[in-house]
Amino acid sequence: MSINRRKLLSMLGISPAVLAGAPAFGRAAKKGAPETAGRVEVLNPKGMPPEIHLIPMAPRLASLDGKTIYLVSDGFEGADRFLNQIAIWFKKNMPSVTTIYRLKAGGLAGDDPKLVAEIKAKGSAMIMAYGH
Amino acid sequence: MGVPTAAIVTIAFEELAKSNAASRGMPGERICFTPHPMTNKTDAEMYQVLLGKDPVTGKPFMKEVIDALTVPLTPAEKVTGSVRPSTGPATYSDTPENLQRFFADNNMTDFQPIILPTEDKVEAMLKGTSHSPEEIVGKMSAGIPSAFPAWSFNVRQVAINAVMAGARPEFFPAILAIASTGQTAIFSSTSSFARMAVVNGPFRDKIRMNYGIGALGPFNDANATIGRAWTILSKNLAGAGLPGMTYLGTTGTNFNYNNMCCAETENALPDGWEPLHVRHGFKPTDSTVTLFTGWSLTNVCYFGLPYHEMITHWLTHYFSTSNFSAVLVLDPTVAADIKRHGFDSPDAFRDYLVKNAKTPAWLYWQRRDKEMAQAKQGVEPFASYLKMGPDADIPVSRFEPRRFPGMPPNAPLPNTIEMFVMGGGTNTYWLGGDFRYVVTTSIDKWV
Repeated sequence: MSINRRKLLSMLGISPAVLAGAPAFGRAAKKGAPETAGRVEVLNPKGMPPEIHLIPMAPRLASLDGKTIYLVSDGFEGADRFLNQIAIWFKKNMPSVTTIYRLKAGGLAGDDPKLVAEIKAKGSAMIMAYGH
Repeated sequence: MGVPTAAIVTIAFEELAKSNAASRGMPGERICFTPHPMTNKTDAEMYQVLLGKDPVTGKPFMKEVIDALTVPLTPAEKVTGSVRPSTGPATYSDTPENLQRFFADNNMTDFQPIILPTEDKVEAMLKGTSHSPEEIVGKMSAGIPSAFPAWSFNVRQVAINAVMAGARPEFFPAILAIASTGQTAIFSSTSSFARMAVVNGPFRDKIRMNYGIGALGPFNDANATIGRAWTILSKNLAGAGLPGMTYLGTTGTNFNYNNMCCAETENALPDGWEPLHVRHGFKPTDSTVTLFTGWSLTNVCYFGLPYHEMITHWLTHYFSTSNFSAVLVLDPTVAADIKRHGFDSPDAFRDYLVKNAKTPAWLYWQRRDKEMAQAKQGVEPFASYLKMGPDADIPVSRFEPRRFPGMPPNAPLPNTIEMFVMGGGTNTYWLGGDFRYVVTTSIDKWV
């Protein structure tokens, strides 16, 4: 299954234009249907979603050679074992990469500023699993 | 965060991951997908996933991970600024049939026909409250607020949804009260949450709610439409209930159609028993709505034991596969029997249940490796518990008040067992479910 991000964004009320990099403000109003007898006007029942502040992604690395990658579990059952397999994969296939495992505080959705600071200070990149 | 990141998500949550990234400001977030589920795989099977392909892109999985960290950013991935999401024009115009279809196709209904929210119907609904149509009522999130940004809404927008649900203007204060709590009726979780709304105080009779025969059934317009409005407004005022994106309940629940909206049978409470809202700090003359969250209900009638004993056994045994908080809905005849056995208040009955419910041995020893080791070394009380055998009821209650995940550290411990009285007295039935108390809020404030 592959999800069309443009369709998905539209369903969220977000203009797909964000994928093209241009801030967008609203979508075109629905065009009126052809004139017919018995046509009625109704009010839009939607609430007001918050403004979305676009966050630029962090610059990528030229390569992973010799880098330290944090393997971060969000605490979902089995994520620790899965990340351990990734550590094993790097050891076998990219031995110059150092991996460090950490369990993120705050559960699936919470922030862990302490861990973020550690990764920024000591690491080069992060792999997180399994988010949902 | 400033660190190159590859997020790994199982394929079942593709829509959720992408939509969540977009609504939180990173629509192009680099996400790598694995098959689903992963939790039940062996280590060797997990390693095979790494050697396989990303089920979304069809590319080798680990290459996707490495690319996510090393392929230079596109211009779109570097964009800053703000986006004000649009939720469409202020009005729609078409034939009634087409509008019914349009509202359903855009997930703005519960997929049953709605009352079309015309200006005159919404104006009539707004007469049900003294509050300004433009007053902000509150904010509501589709799930965990840190994951699903909360939407805000005003009185007029709640009124539009109330019209759609078929509510009458006189019901509107209860709907505003529910909306003001910020609690969605369709909370995003894989576990298919249900909700319950219980009205107390004079407002129940003012709008002729049903708290007698069939109060939880389709026999009263106030019960039916207030509960229905909660689901419809959750979809439209919080963006909740988009399957795969803001709703993930694997089976879903029929309770979401009207959220078990009912009222307490206050006129048939046993002497000395205070109504639900009074036990939560309100006066008897206040009108309130109390919200519960949970999953399921059991309908019980059993004549072999007094009810207080029967319910204790139910908590020990039937409830052993459920969570550790319960809500009891007692028919007035059952409440009267409990009172007759010496329980002068719901709190006294709750304390008895908390103290006397036990834990089946099979459940007790799950994830208690340390206690099991101590038991085998003769350390009490574990040694005695172990001697009781695998079919015993261990005298440890699972209903001692405890903190729930996400509770503020200074918040008082919530009751693990709540109850209210409701029903027509046609037989001695009671309902028990794995629900827990969320909040009681004023309806009077919204009149």
